Amino acid sequence: MPLEGDESGQIVSLTDLCKEFPDGTRALSGVSLHIRPGEAVAVMGPSGCGKSTLLNLVAGVDRPTSGSVVVHDEDLSQLNETGLALFRRRRIGMVFQFFNLLEDLPALDNVALAGQLAGVPTAQARQRARERLTELGVGDRADAYPATLSGGERQRVAVARALMNEPALLLADEPTGALDSASGAQVADLLLALNQRGQTLLLVTHDQMLAERVATRVVELADGAIIGERVLEQTA
Amino acid sequence: MTATWRAIRATVRRRRVQTFVIGLVVLVSAATATVALTLISAASRPFDRSFDAQHGAHLVLVLDATKAPAVQPPVDRSAGVQAVAGPFPRAVLNLPADSSDAVGLGALTVVGRADPGGPVDRLDLWAGRWATAPGEIVLNAAPSDAESGPGRLGARIEVPGRSALTIVGRAYSVSQTADAWVPPDQIVALGPTTAQVLYRFADADTPAAVAAHASAVTDGLPQGALLGSQSWLTVRQAVAAGPGAYIPFLTTFGLLGLAVAILIIGNVVSGAVVSGFRHIGVLKALGFTPRQVVLVYISIALLPAMVATVLGTGLGYLVARSVLSDAFSGSGFGGNVGVAWWVPVVVLVAVPAVVVVAALVPAARAYRLSAAEAISAGSARRAGRCLGVQRWLSGTRLPRAVSLGLGQPFARPARTALTLAAVVLGVATVVFAGGLAATVSRYAEVSDVNNAAPIAMRPGNPAFGQVAPELDAAQTEALLRALPGVAHLSVSTVVPVTIAGQTRTMSGGFLRGDTDAGLAGMIVEGRWLRGEDEIVVPTAVLNERGFGVGEDVALQFGGRIRKVSIVGATLSSGVGSADFFAGWQTLDALAPGYQLPSSDLFYQIEQTPGTDVADLVRRVNAATPGLYAWDNRGTNSFSSSVLSLSITLSVLLGLVAALGVLNTVLLTVRERRRDLGILKSIGMRPSQVVTMTVVSMAALGIFGGILGTPLGVLAHRLIVPLTARAAQIDTPGFLLNVWDVPVVLLLPLAGLVIATIGALLPARSAARLPIGQVLRSE
Repeated sequence: MPLEGDESGQIVSLTDLCKEFPDGTRALSGVSLHIRPGEAVAVMGPSGCGKSTLLNLVAGVDRPTSGSVVVHDEDLSQLNETGLALFRRRRIGMVFQFFNLLEDLPALDNVALAGQLAGVPTAQARQRARERLTELGVGDRADAYPATLSGGERQRVAVARALMNEPALLLADEPTGALDSASGAQVADLLLALNQRGQTLLLVTHDQMLAERVATRVVELADGAIIGERVLEQTA
Repeated sequence: MTATWRAIRATVRRRRVQTFVIGLVVLVSAATATVALTLISAASRPFDRSFDAQHGAHLVLVLDATKAPAVQPPVDRSAGVQAVAGPFPRAVLNLPADSSDAVGLGALTVVGRADPGGPVDRLDLWAGRWATAPGEIVLNAAPSDAESGPGRLGARIEVPGRSALTIVGRAYSVSQTADAWVPPDQIVALGPTTAQVLYRFADADTPAAVAAHASAVTDGLPQGALLGSQSWLTVRQAVAAGPGAYIPFLTTFGLLGLAVAILIIGNVVSGAVVSGFRHIGVLKALGFTPRQVVLVYISIALLPAMVATVLGTGLGYLVARSVLSDAFSGSGFGGNVGVAWWVPVVVLVAVPAVVVVAALVPAARAYRLSAAEAISAGSARRAGRCLGVQRWLSGTRLPRAVSLGLGQPFARPARTALTLAAVVLGVATVVFAGGLAATVSRYAEVSDVNNAAPIAMRPGNPAFGQVAPELDAAQTEALLRALPGVAHLSVSTVVPVTIAGQTRTMSGGFLRGDTDAGLAGMIVEGRWLRGEDEIVVPTAVLNERGFGVGEDVALQFGGRIRKVSIVGATLSSGVGSADFFAGWQTLDALAPGYQLPSSDLFYQIEQTPGTDVADLVRRVNAATPGLYAWDNRGTNSFSSSVLSLSITLSVLLGLVAALGVLNTVLLTVRERRRDLGILKSIGMRPSQVVTMTVVSMAALGIFGGILGTPLGVLAHRLIVPLTARAAQIDTPGFLLNVWDVPVVLLLPLAGLVIATIGALLPARSAARLPIGQVLRSE
């Protein structure tokens, strides 16, 4: 798992970040956050506090109104759409609350797709995808279509896809939000294991239990601003 | 304002792009349908419409003025007579062609009439005024001949042995009852020997009916009073041959246009309703009744459709008028072949009806669904169909954006089928139009003796205010042949001769010089001229006169008769051209010492390779006074009309097909917003999104091209011979085999072009989809 950060030793540097939507809604105001390689940071807060917006800005799927986002030494404000796509392809993996798998493709091809888009030959991408699925405990479901998978299985497939290109940073937006408690616990264990193997995590969640289980640091967000931060000790 | 109306307005506002697409598709479709229906309507009876408008004469009797009674026959309605006009005194003037302003008139049939109106044969006096005073004459000419026809207003016609006549007007008789008209006083001065009586009957649709009426109305005439008669059916057959050529062609285009329009409207409207299922569920949950919901969803399609239908019908009306004017003015029907009143009515009713039917099918499903089911149907992330195909594609070595794009059409087979049908018809239309244009161009190249070479020339005629040539014919030929850049030179003239045993005069086209260079390509049977006493005859004339290649006929000119052999058949060269062609030596043998006016000679020049035609025309005009040369390329009005029609309709139908593709891509992008967001979130570049989206339609386009190309070729092979037969033209192989193998292989690219044009715009918009917003809202 990649652990290297930038020159300052940080993998994510958010400085004075503001985001205002066209309808005038201010989602983030003056947020600064720095994440070191190997950290698992959970961003928590009530609905509408700006958690997902923060995650989208780090992922380069949205642009800040002001402030800077530097991930793995890349200033996202300097990248055009193609540059951002290449950035997402190489540097990050994303896991969503509702899995966001392509319904037309079986699990294997959903995972392999991330590799194929990055230019990995089809056979090699499928081989690597199969390995990822096996590592995450869903190797036997490789040929199943998302509609036939359980919620927990879908999220594992989504995690496998996010890890396909060995990203420096794994972003997870409410990864257990759509799962029952048993499946949620399994996904939490999975994220914890990944972090313990060196994977840097940025997690957005409502779930206190998940944060405490997985995160090494919790950032509290309210009304678009950081109101608190605490370091946790992980329990293996 | 009712809740339903509020919902309709809100939905239309929320779906601006969809509303715009529906409006655009319906507008172009309504325009296409208007043009198509107008063409079908006009093409079916162009002569009849014009004939009815003029109260044309079903029967023209030519009577001996000395034997027939000088009073108008009674209108015997019990015998089926609707109206009678005449008797009008009639005289035939033999005009030396070189001695009057009416060059080329030759024998002129003049009728004395007090006015252009009356119960039968109401003339279209389209230029100048009616002849009311002695010495005035009105010529029969179609309005399309305003520029090129004989007899400019104010010109004088010298009549041997009588006073000159001044042309004061130009009128058109569809019934072709005379070449010119003079006032009743004037006709007396011209020494009429015959009189004409014009009849209209209640029933004159068949030769038998006309013959029966003719028998009835001539029954009481004195012995020998009836000199001849002319049925309107004969005139119709001869005059309508040109426009008749358009009928199958226009009908085919019209039907293609209607089919494409209906397909696209169905695709667009049903797609709009299907994509609104979730909203339908929400409306039901709010308390809207199923009927109100259906009303909302039909209205959001119908409102823009109605506005677009009105605009499209207006646009189609303008296009149709222009197309019809091009198509029929050459035959004199331009003014009477307008857009039929029922065409806009049908389009204004039928197009919205098609929209309602297309919307009703999916709306009926929405009617039946419960609120929860509708929301679920509109929100569910459903897997597409044919998953095996997509899986197979994902395993290929193709770039992933390409393989994903290739798989998309399989996910929505019904929509794909409708789009494919539109592309197939679009391609078939383009291929058909292209083939037709090529055929017509080839036909124009080889068939018209007056268009056989790029440069044409006539010696000047002082009667037209032109300078008389200083050189005689031999000197002119020698001068032209000596000009640099002249490769071939031919000279032709048309002389009226008769064939022994037949009464009607034939126009003999006599040729000398390098006639093999351009004209020999006209031969469809037998061979081209090789020597004296040989003629070649257009197939239409052969059929009409009952001659065959290999037969001998006797040409008669003045008192001389010359036996000639028909050695070949040529393509018919249309109205106004020669009835046969022969070498100049045949003319010398038939009419030794015959002095042709120099202005009756027609020269044609083919330039050497690399010679600029315009430059050569300038040099010919400057070579000696009295020579009038012009660039003769592309002056065939028939081919020009067909080409302009082909281009207009191909562009319209291609546009409609491309709009169909655009709509499909818009719907697909809308449905796949989430998928696009996912793909972009895992690193798909904007250019890959464009590639994927365009490929999804390009594949469809190529497939549509592969299906549509043979369909278009087949239509060409079936329709062109039908078209040609209607115009009494033979279609030898070289007119039909217009495609080379490489061209046929490239034709499916037409589908690719249509699909790519339709897909590019929404593909670019898909590439710009904001991922965060999409994934948040989905």
